[in-house]
Amino acid sequence: MSQQAAEQQARPAAAGGVVAQLGGTAIDLFAGGRELYGVFVRTLYYVVRGRREKGAVLSQMYEIGNKSAFFITITMGFIGMILVYQGGLQTQRIVPDFTMLGATYLELLIRDLAASIGALMLATRVGAGIAAEIGSMVVTEQVDALRMCAADPVDFLIVPRFLASIVMTVVLIVWAAFVAFTAGGITAYVAFGVLPRTFFNLALIDYGDMLTGFAKCIAYGAAIPVVSGYCGLSTFGGSEGVGWATTRAVVNSSLAIIILNFFISGAAFLVFPK
Amino acid sequence: MTAAAPTTNDSAPSGFSAAVGALGGGFLALAETVGGMGVLLGRILRRLFPPRLDGPELWRNRYKMAVKSMPIVVVTALFTGGIMVIQATPTVQRLGAEGMVGWAAGFGTLREVGPLLTALMISGRVGANNTAELGTMVVTEQIDALRVLAIDPIGFLVLPRFLGIVLTLFMMTLFSDMLALFGAAVASQVLVHVPPASFFNGITGGLLGFGDVANGLIKSVVFGIVMALSSCHFGLATKGGAPGVGRAVNATVVASAAGVFVLDYLVSFMLG
Repeated sequence: MSQQAAEQQARPAAAGGVVAQLGGTAIDLFAGGRELYGVFVRTLYYVVRGRREKGAVLSQMYEIGNKSAFFITITMGFIGMILVYQGGLQTQRIVPDFTMLGATYLELLIRDLAASIGALMLATRVGAGIAAEIGSMVVTEQVDALRMCAADPVDFLIVPRFLASIVMTVVLIVWAAFVAFTAGGITAYVAFGVLPRTFFNLALIDYGDMLTGFAKCIAYGAAIPVVSGYCGLSTFGGSEGVGWATTRAVVNSSLAIIILNFFISGAAFLVFPK
Repeated sequence: MTAAAPTTNDSAPSGFSAAVGALGGGFLALAETVGGMGVLLGRILRRLFPPRLDGPELWRNRYKMAVKSMPIVVVTALFTGGIMVIQATPTVQRLGAEGMVGWAAGFGTLREVGPLLTALMISGRVGANNTAELGTMVVTEQIDALRVLAIDPIGFLVLPRFLGIVLTLFMMTLFSDMLALFGAAVASQVLVHVPPASFFNGITGGLLGFGDVANGLIKSVVFGIVMALSSCHFGLATKGGAPGVGRAVNATVVASAAGVFVLDYLVSFMLG
């Protein structure tokens, strides 16, 4: 029965042709991108010119930062252990020499992994939270009430989250790198017998790595609230709509992080040659 | 406060007892979640042997979960492959063996990053969506309506979704492994000027075996089980209207991500 229903659903699309479907998708994608860009520009505008609500940024910093700290600690601790274990196995296959394990790991962590994996975790936790909160406000018409009071929801809802997220993403990712490196050091000692003194090796870190990592922190911290705030504001329908908005926020902010990571890593690879 | 012994029977909780209370509350909530997921797994398994599930519902879910998440998996996999090459190149160049870039990127992609990122994306797309759907059904009392009609909600709704998520993640991991290697080959041609032939030679040159691919695939099944359980558990435990659905989805993605990372560690150690 359901297969028939699925076929019936598929039939109009087939009649319209693949081209129509592809075109429709492209137009949707373009419209979504333009709206997202609009939200981003308005956010930047209100960061400079907007009204300041006392304590809003601080309470968002608590919401985004402190409440994610435990989650980040757990996930980054485990990913640190996994990475060193897998990296050690990989090294063992080629050169049975673990002296550079810590240095290579620290370089990779600072240049990419701490920021990217930490931000993916933040995208799930923070992004879903922002979209669920703003989405519920849209569904219960609180956002319309804001508009009636001549307050732009971007100024009132997204800007505090934007500022808080940038600051707290940087802080949390520094913490994430520390946790992942410590967990990795313990694993290296237990599994491969690498002394902490050998593991803690700053030889391969240079300004290029630090700058790349910092640029990633800022970019991800800015992308998460803008993308998930946009998804939250474009909620429609009842409780199902809130669920959809939250799903889209998680998926789109994770995708944004992966795509930004590719471009920032590529640029850094070309700008800072080794 | 340091001088006074921790007074837990104070009417106004001091800093210490409040902290202990929060810690205990956190553990209780964690135990409740894990226990709820365990009970749900037991119920699901009881309906799996012998299979008592709604076949058409399984097909519908597999279409919705797998086919519809194709675009994000494609984008994620292609970019992931590129990123892996960019990150592996300096290490390989330091060893003076640029032909090894295929091995270095392939090892990380097949064993670790491919399954992990696919799981995170599918958790965001499918797991969260599934929670929202089940949560909406709970909030609008459709699950109670099923019970009134003497239809078992676990067999009718949860088991097809559980199987759907596990199968989807397994197949998507295979698919994204392939696409990630393709993306990596393109990136290594463009950025490092290692031609695809020697890139793939680095992968198949003997340092990587089927064991590495199987390692990633076993992980994907484990991730699928934990994602499906947390998604269905939080969906069925939704309460409180539209904000409740939002909270349930939030809880699902957080629990899935934490579960995926913890199990990734355990499985990596067990498989070696």
